[in-house]
Amino acid sequence: MELWKRFDLVMFTGTYNTAILKSYISFVSRTMKHVVKILSLLVAVSAFWIALLQAAIIPRSHTWLLPIYFVVSLGCYGLLMVGIGLMQFPTCPREAVLLQHDITEAKDFLSANGVDVRSD
Amino acid sequence: MELADRAVGLLLSSISLSIFTYYTFWIIILPFVDSDHFIHKYFLPQDYAILVPVFAGITLLSLLSVFIGMVMLKSKKKKA
Repeated sequence: MELWKRFDLVMFTGTYNTAILKSYISFVSRTMKHVVKILSLLVAVSAFWIALLQAAIIPRSHTWLLPIYFVVSLGCYGLLMVGIGLMQFPTCPREAVLLQHDITEAKDFLSANGVDVRSD
Repeated sequence: MELADRAVGLLLSSISLSIFTYYTFWIIILPFVDSDHFIHKYFLPQDYAILVPVFAGITLLSLLSVFIGMVMLKSKKKKA
């Protein structure tokens, strides 16, 4: 690896802290692996789609429609899951009351000890 | 307000279900129906079936990028 070409890594080695450098390199490599994974998945799906087209299994009129249909249905499914999650979200009213008690108690204690508790 | 939450959740899921059924009908079922059936009146011509979602997707992406740009500008201004 030619280190002098990587300006960001040179700045890190300048600090002589090898622990930070190692964790930074591992983070970057993990992110890159993630990006490569997603890109390869996209390429595989499009290759599969083009292979299906060449085999002429699907009627030509639906060539452009089906991928768009799948994307729209995926978006719809996501929206549906969000709606269902919203409807089933538990609110815990008793814990909310206890939390409000704790907040007022902490505010009184802190303002009595001279800490500024105004919330802007 | 959990009632407002549940109302919004119900609204969202009903919107998504209606969009899904309309779009499924439009693309998959309608080509197999005879041309002089009355149901064709309620659906736009099939060329719009591609344009409308693509247009909506592009609008969504542009709105998202505008929002991200505004947030970035605001945070820069606050730091300076």
